[in-house]
Amino acid sequence: MTTKNIGKPQDRVDGKLKVTGRAMYPGDRRMENLAYGYLLTSTVAKGSIRAMDTSGAERTRGVLAVYTPFNPLKLYRGLDSSEGANSGEIQPPLQDARILNYGQIIGLVVAESFEQARDAAALVTTQYDEDNPVASWETGMENAFTPEAVGGESATIKILSEGVSSIDDAIKDSPVVLDATYREPIYHHNPMEPHATTAVWQGDRLTIYDATQGVVAQRLDLAAVLGIDEDMVRVLCPFVGGGFGCKGSMWMFSPLTAAAARALGRSVKTILTREQMFTLVGHRPALIQRLTLGAKPDGTLQAVKHDVRSTVSFSKVFVEAAAHRTSRLLYKSTNIQVSQTLVPWNVGGPTFMRAPGCAPGMFALECAMDELAAKLRIDPIELRIKNNAEVFPGKNVPWSSKNLVECYQLGAQKFGWSKRNPEPGAIRDGDWLVGMGMASALYPAHRSQASVKVRLQADGTAEVSSATQDLGTGTWTVLAIVGADSLELPIEKIRPELGDSALPHAPTSGGSTSVASVTPAIQRAAESAKRKLIQFVLRDKRSPFFGMRAEDVVYRDGKIEGGGKSADFGSVLTAIGRGAVEAVEMAEPGEEEQKYAFHSFGAQFCELRVNRWTGEVRLQRITSVMDIGTVVNLKAARSQIIGGIVFGIGMALLEGSVLEEKTGRYGNANFADYLVATNADVPYVDVYFIDKPDTIFNPLGARGIGEIGITGMPAAIANAVYNATGNRVRDFPILPEKLLPLGLNQPAISMALR
Amino acid sequence: MQLPADPPPDHEDGSSRREFIRRLAAISAGLTVAAPLGRAGTVTEKSNLQGEPPKTDGAEGLIEIILKVNGNTERLVVDPRVTLLDALRDRLDLMGTKKGCDRGTCGACTVHLDGRRVLSCLTLAVMAQGKKITTIEGLATGDELHPVQAAFIKCDGFQCGYCTPGQIMSAVACISEGHTGSDSEIREYMSGNLCRCGAYPNIVEAVKMAAAKMKGEVN
Repeated sequence: MTTKNIGKPQDRVDGKLKVTGRAMYPGDRRMENLAYGYLLTSTVAKGSIRAMDTSGAERTRGVLAVYTPFNPLKLYRGLDSSEGANSGEIQPPLQDARILNYGQIIGLVVAESFEQARDAAALVTTQYDEDNPVASWETGMENAFTPEAVGGESATIKILSEGVSSIDDAIKDSPVVLDATYREPIYHHNPMEPHATTAVWQGDRLTIYDATQGVVAQRLDLAAVLGIDEDMVRVLCPFVGGGFGCKGSMWMFSPLTAAAARALGRSVKTILTREQMFTLVGHRPALIQRLTLGAKPDGTLQAVKHDVRSTVSFSKVFVEAAAHRTSRLLYKSTNIQVSQTLVPWNVGGPTFMRAPGCAPGMFALECAMDELAAKLRIDPIELRIKNNAEVFPGKNVPWSSKNLVECYQLGAQKFGWSKRNPEPGAIRDGDWLVGMGMASALYPAHRSQASVKVRLQADGTAEVSSATQDLGTGTWTVLAIVGADSLELPIEKIRPELGDSALPHAPTSGGSTSVASVTPAIQRAAESAKRKLIQFVLRDKRSPFFGMRAEDVVYRDGKIEGGGKSADFGSVLTAIGRGAVEAVEMAEPGEEEQKYAFHSFGAQFCELRVNRWTGEVRLQRITSVMDIGTVVNLKAARSQIIGGIVFGIGMALLEGSVLEEKTGRYGNANFADYLVATNADVPYVDVYFIDKPDTIFNPLGARGIGEIGITGMPAAIANAVYNATGNRVRDFPILPEKLLPLGLNQPAISMALR
Repeated sequence: MQLPADPPPDHEDGSSRREFIRRLAAISAGLTVAAPLGRAGTVTEKSNLQGEPPKTDGAEGLIEIILKVNGNTERLVVDPRVTLLDALRDRLDLMGTKKGCDRGTCGACTVHLDGRRVLSCLTLAVMAQGKKITTIEGLATGDELHPVQAAFIKCDGFQCGYCTPGQIMSAVACISEGHTGSDSEIREYMSGNLCRCGAYPNIVEAVKMAAAKMKGEVN
């Protein structure tokens, strides 16, 4: 094992395929006998289908079939996480006439061409028995309920000091109390690649090109819904056009397409429209979060109470654990209580979205900390350092590695935090009000069981393969980098393989777990392959090392050395007539899980300006410092953090799905109205890494990095908007109209002083 | 208080981009509905432009068109509703050009027509006849990458890669249009191409790097 490549800025090994248009995404597959599917979706949010007229569609040239609840394909229920998979929806489509949300699948048209399928779909008419949908907090509260568990823990967690009877008593006893409520709308992942599936049957065997973050779980889930043995299914997804969580579950259009392909004896491809992406593949729930902080005048926290209400669908429970993953552990407080309530709406199933729990929870907690700091007239960084938790609250186990205070300090220095004027509205530049804000960043580190095959080949190359995924996260390159260093070979000699359920199993790429889970298995498999290689070359008469003792022969820098001889492994394999030597090894977390807590931390800063006449917010510059353990690829790691930051900019300032109360329809289900950050919305971004290996977590010391970048950004922006204007917007996104009127005469200043 | 040298981008430009996209969406929605009914009109218009009436296959309602793509002449018999994007992807197997929204709002389908960037999802295939069509597959010369492609790799101007062909086609045009005078000018002229992975700062670096390289080569 060397470290020649780990931690250096490395170009992506799949880069050339991506810049030349040759990377094949699931919707890019073409084959003989391909037909095109187009989904029919409901135009009411609650009720049942009375009748459908498909005759016009069926008469259309090129149409092969129109499947509806009145002409269904048999599908079975999906699997949940307790069964090793994760169906976004449990109930399969077309098996009954019930409607639980607008945009629900009510049919599939299959035709010879995409145009024929699309236009035939437009000819289908549907009659409904319609009920009033639940699509607002007011109507939803009637059905509110407490989830059985939140992330394996109780829905309410109380960590109280001795003699304190309740969190409310601790709040009552606090000299300074901050009580604030934060709201956010439903957000949609909107990866640039719409979900796509291409199903190909050969007899009873299904090969499916599916846009997924988890080929192994997808295979199990597809097999269950199709009612076949998972050994008959192979899922291929070497490239994913972004996921952010919405491709982490199986969604029902995929098995529906496969079932149509089976029934028709044709390969079928279905690609979702952008509008369908809003109702069929998940979203981040809407939330109302109430934060109550009790502190001593010096800022010492003695009560943290975080109550979360999050929306859910009527078909499957999903908990956006905004308090359990943030306020429960970020600060040392003598009393902590977090709780969760779920509020069902007639919407499609919610799901994990980049930094589930943490992104919304940190918006609330880190804004509340800023509000408390302002109330106490303490610097926000000082307040955070004062309450930094050295052990995991309530469990009293240490973190495997935590350098959050260093993140604050380095960030403050690099950003120039000392130039911030704590008085809101004090800095003007012409028509612009200028402000600075900061927030902590946080994301748990997880790893799961993963297997990898390392194959040393006679041509001198080495294959490193695993059924993991690259969502743009850089896994292709991580396999190459860690493979190269483990085998002491140049990166160009490594042939990575992933995105194929036939490879050794790895977990779904979600929760920032892939690098942490897969890299230990690469290291193990590499060591095993080297050992096997040496055994072979000692035993074979044609080998230059024949008859030597094992302890006299070593593998070094891609060569076998011993007895004064040295030969590269490829030539020795060729000499002994072997094409390759390979080893598969598994790695999984061990006892350390009981003894430590594992989290990545960070500090994020921004400077922005708000136009006094229009309320428009323009970001000026952003600094992030991240404590994520070992950095594997400095170039891609920086990009990942920037990507999270850009997501955070959208969450704070631009994005939000507009659910129409009366119809349960999203009024902005397109990129013209659901605004994501564009290039012009993103300023210069400065990223620093603490780069301290977390070797208690795994041998490489690398925690995940895909999600933490978003977690502090929304609060940092909201806090900077307050610093610029004196306006505290607790209702995301911070649209210009929520800031107006501003700057007419001197209101910004007067608001600051009220 | 020290202010950064880079001035804040003009918000008016930002607003007009949104407005532009809304207009495109409206036009796109109109096309989707009108295309099958307006078939004859489209054909007539095309025949005027080309001076040669397209051949139609009466039985199937298909028409024959000729597209010049990446230096090759392609003869296709297609449904007149087919967009340039779907013709490239589903008929010519040029899968590099991506469909992100099919409504002209994301830029993933950007190609060049006679050197100008256009959204191929808002362009019917019949409308592209007689024009020189360049897609992402036509940018490199053999194994040698175009300077913009090379700069995107060097600067990590992408993550998942799905918006990348469109970004690169826009970047090539952005440079040839002369819109690389400052970071904020590049940001503005690259803002028709959405990237959900958030590679924007790296894309700006890549455009600058490629622009400098291409300038050097011209001089």
